[in-house]
Amino acid sequence: MQGNIELLKGAAALIGYGLAAIGPGIGIGIVVGNAITAMARQPEMAGTVRTTMFLGIAFTEALALIGFVLFFIA
Amino acid sequence: MILASECDVANVVICAPANVRELFEYTDPWFSIGSFHFTRTVFLIFLAAAIAIALLYFGLRKKSLVPSKFETAIESLVEFVRDGIGRDVIGPEGSRYVPYLLALFTFVLVGNLFEITPLINFPIMSRMALPAFLSLVTYVIFVILGFGKNGFRFLLDTVWPKHVPIGLRWLVGIIELFSIFVLRPLTLAVRLFANMLAGHLMLTLLLGSGVIFIAAFGDVGLKSLVGIPWFILGLGIFLFEIVVAVLQAYIFTLLSAVYIQSSIEFEH
Repeated sequence: MQGNIELLKGAAALIGYGLAAIGPGIGIGIVVGNAITAMARQPEMAGTVRTTMFLGIAFTEALALIGFVLFFIA
Repeated sequence: MILASECDVANVVICAPANVRELFEYTDPWFSIGSFHFTRTVFLIFLAAAIAIALLYFGLRKKSLVPSKFETAIESLVEFVRDGIGRDVIGPEGSRYVPYLLALFTFVLVGNLFEITPLINFPIMSRMALPAFLSLVTYVIFVILGFGKNGFRFLLDTVWPKHVPIGLRWLVGIIELFSIFVLRPLTLAVRLFANMLAGHLMLTLLLGSGVIFIAAFGDVGLKSLVGIPWFILGLGIFLFEIVVAVLQAYIFTLLSAVYIQSSIEFEH
């Protein structure tokens, strides 16, 4: 019985991490896509755009990483 | 991985370590001085600090007219942090914070590159204590700067932002307060920790299972060839981790600079 509950907890944590990865995945796609558009339109701004893109990725990624850590805590 | 290699691959279906938490628990120290316990991780932390100090000291020791290759490399590192992170993000005042940012970047970079250094293969940032401490230092710096430059207005304008319509002010205030004083240091530490831990786990699982499968060739025969694509995939991830190590060091320093900048120019 104890083992079953442990397995269920592991499965629930896995599903939870999978769900937590959906939103940031979409978000990072939007961020990078728009950054590429901006770089293609104004190549002289590429440096600034790249810095801002990394910032945006870092902020968006935080949610997925919190999910990743919760997966270990659970 | 070590435990899994001891299990009898011919009879047991799934060779799992007895307890996956062995990756997270502290091992017995090599030796102790008072209450300071020296494990492999602690030793690697000191090694990373020594390498970072040595790189910067020997790279910038003498101002020669024609710098050597090594000096040029270190100078371009300093220039990257000073111009690309310090002055670009913080602005003209950024030069004052370049020493901190440079030390942070070099230390985190060396610590991250340990992940892919042969014979070390352990990113020291995958122990939560270290990124948590580094992020705490940044937290203290930007909170003290915020109160020092703006006085009590730093807290007041965060809770009661004047530029927001009055109906939403309380909500934005709560979100801003939570995000600045809780989420910022938390995510700063967790981002570095989780990225390095994930990379380390992936490398361990792929390369380790590949080696275990191939080593079991005598027991299970041709079935052990499954290990070869896993090992190759692990080598691919190995290259990818070089990018991740550098990028995470850059992002950690960049975000520290952004937080410092948002405390200095607190115009909301």
